[in-house]
Amino acid sequence: MAYQITDNCTGCTLCAHFCPTGAARGVKKARHAIAAQLCIECGACGRICPHNAVQDPFGRMAKSEKKKDWKKPVFDLGLCMACGICVDACPAGCLEPGPPDPKRKTAYPLLSDPGACLGCGFCARECPVEAVSLEIRADAEAAAGAA
Amino acid sequence: MKRKGYMGKILMVDLSQGTIWEESPPEEIYRRYLGGMGLGAHILYQRIPAGADPLGPDNMLGFLPGLLTGTGSLFTGRWMVVGKSPLTGGWGDANCGGTFSPEIKRCGYDGIFVRGTSPTPVYLYVDDQTRELRDASAVWGLDAVETEAWLKAHAKPGGKKPKVACIGPAGEQVSLISGIATDQGRLAARSGLGAVMGAKRLKAVVLCGQKRIEPHNREEMKRLSQACNRWVQFQPPFVPGPLTALVGALMRIMPAVITQDGILYKILLKKWGTVSMNQLSPEMGDAPIRNWKGSSRDWGFRKSYSTHPGVFSRRETVKFHCYSCPLGCGAICALDGKYAQTHKPEYETVLSLGGFCLNQDVDSIFYLNEVLNRAGMDTISAGHAVAFALECYEAGIIDREDTGGLELTWGNSRAIVALVEQMVRREGFGHVLADGVKQAAHRIGKGSEVCAVLAGGQEPAMHDGRNDPGFALHYSVEPTPGRHTLGAHLYYEMFQLWKVVRGVPRMPPIYLKGSKYKNPQRQAAIGAANSRFMTLVNCAGACLFAAFLGARRFRLFEWLNAATGWDLSSEAYMDLAGEIHTLKQAFNVKHGIEPRDHRISDRALGRPVQTEGANKGRSIDIEAMMTHYWQAFGWDPQTGKPGQEILEKLGRAA
Repeated sequence: MAYQITDNCTGCTLCAHFCPTGAARGVKKARHAIAAQLCIECGACGRICPHNAVQDPFGRMAKSEKKKDWKKPVFDLGLCMACGICVDACPAGCLEPGPPDPKRKTAYPLLSDPGACLGCGFCARECPVEAVSLEIRADAEAAAGAA
Repeated sequence: MKRKGYMGKILMVDLSQGTIWEESPPEEIYRRYLGGMGLGAHILYQRIPAGADPLGPDNMLGFLPGLLTGTGSLFTGRWMVVGKSPLTGGWGDANCGGTFSPEIKRCGYDGIFVRGTSPTPVYLYVDDQTRELRDASAVWGLDAVETEAWLKAHAKPGGKKPKVACIGPAGEQVSLISGIATDQGRLAARSGLGAVMGAKRLKAVVLCGQKRIEPHNREEMKRLSQACNRWVQFQPPFVPGPLTALVGALMRIMPAVITQDGILYKILLKKWGTVSMNQLSPEMGDAPIRNWKGSSRDWGFRKSYSTHPGVFSRRETVKFHCYSCPLGCGAICALDGKYAQTHKPEYETVLSLGGFCLNQDVDSIFYLNEVLNRAGMDTISAGHAVAFALECYEAGIIDREDTGGLELTWGNSRAIVALVEQMVRREGFGHVLADGVKQAAHRIGKGSEVCAVLAGGQEPAMHDGRNDPGFALHYSVEPTPGRHTLGAHLYYEMFQLWKVVRGVPRMPPIYLKGSKYKNPQRQAAIGAANSRFMTLVNCAGACLFAAFLGARRFRLFEWLNAATGWDLSSEAYMDLAGEIHTLKQAFNVKHGIEPRDHRISDRALGRPVQTEGANKGRSIDIEAMMTHYWQAFGWDPQTGKPGQEILEKLGRAA
């Protein structure tokens, strides 16, 4: 199962730029393709594509979204166990253990690079205790604007 | 995409040929050997020829995550390294936490196996698109922390940081007590497998994968995890650290024992980590003192006070959680002097370099912890080697001329520090000790063997079989001898297996302490259940401390079914684990090991009996327990070898 690129592709290279595994490939101004064995179904290619040229694994057209509208992780530190599953799940490497909480001496997860977040939601999906929710974040919006 | 918890592929590397290839084990292999240690046993039994030199090209080294790693289960971020041990000559494995384990699966593999010997130092780099051996000359000679930092900075530009497992200088110098380090000094320490990696000139394995790990039923995984987490987060207010000594003293004095509920140990672990046992264990007789010759009298409350748990928690700067661990028994501690920080020393380290050598200087223990972690040397074995030398010095077997001027008297922390520094550099008298106690006794000769306490060539851990005969049994019968993480009477109490597995011994709510030393058949039945269950834990990539929560709180069997989509009973899983355990024993027999030679040294069995302290007058009838244990697996009760019929059942007949 993998995402696919359709004839609508103009070869703008945005998907290749955002793909965290190098699965989306192609030369500029030519139709791109996704290497199925590398695709992890994060959906970044579909979200970023300005030409609606990407199909999800079920054959549905992926919907393009402005980067500032991508939903990104917010952590409920009352539920979080600091187990590191979300940090490990992140394909973009934009999560990391934050500075230690002074009272509990615990490093809770932190979205350290909001601009790099792909909004894939793997962190929320894999969190065993539902401590991660996906929301439009003001800091991520600012990072997207700056980018 | 597979939704079975495992990836369906293994990566094979031949360092001599410089070739790398993938293999796809059929589902039947996973159903039989599960993953982790079981998968490792299957591959290594098959592919390492009988009599292979552990330090030669025919030996294989496997890096394996658990079947449950990355599936949304808790406490399942541990990885195993497996190979033929140069320390024991038989099956070797070592277990480690940190964050390396899921990365093996993220690269798409259920195991990475390495054979051959590289002509020059190399490291293995694997990501989603790349699998290659790279020149390691830039990191050869660096310690484990420096190596990891260099590789994280240079092996992959930008994006997600890779994970690194590497050897330090001890492994490079083929020290037989060296291990493999991850996460700035966490060690897969036992069995001397760092030496195998060093002999292969494989400095590191560097992984950076993005593959998804999909359990069969993620919702069920989460439901089970949330139920487990509620027990983990239960944490009542707590007493000051030194009062743990009082608890230990009470446990020593009481003639009866209340069957322990592991939730109590969980509370200690969450509060302090394993150092919570620093005073409790010596007081109750669980900690060997002065090279197994001393007792709680030699390491009383006043002497052990310098290592009370509060001393360690005061230095913590941040808790350390292994991957998928909600508890966080580890921590990073601040240091003064040469190194700025270290992983919080574990109980094993504190005792082996503390009470075992009568060393009260806690600063030296913090420092040596970091020295040994960076060198990639096992702290348990290093402490044993030091205590062995101290006793040889006391007995006049060696003198100042032999030690290069070091005055090796009990508790002389300066001399102990200098000696360990020599050991990790293989300099001076340190070279004599750098391969562990067995080699040291061989090199020194002159009757020093009487000071060597070993099980099958491996230095046993800091838990005394005279206090808990289960430790003596597991030290003596496991395919990896001298190991404290595979079973004990106390562990069995905490596992509470009888609540979920039919046919295993039940524990009464209260029992007389003396009963542990009687009825070897029952003790062996308990030991066999422990071995099966811990085999399963190590196939799953799970943590021993989590298993202490009890089988109804740490629901391993249900997690396994939810992750894989199988529908096996707990008894069926225990049977599979028994076959894997037998396969490891068969590996030893294939490589010429006589199981009875794994029996731990007399001194640790109370022969002669101690005349004072917590274990006064106690002696263990280990031979009877070993016989019954072997029988419980269907092995020959006299030799401990699996018979032809059993090997045929396993498909391993000659």
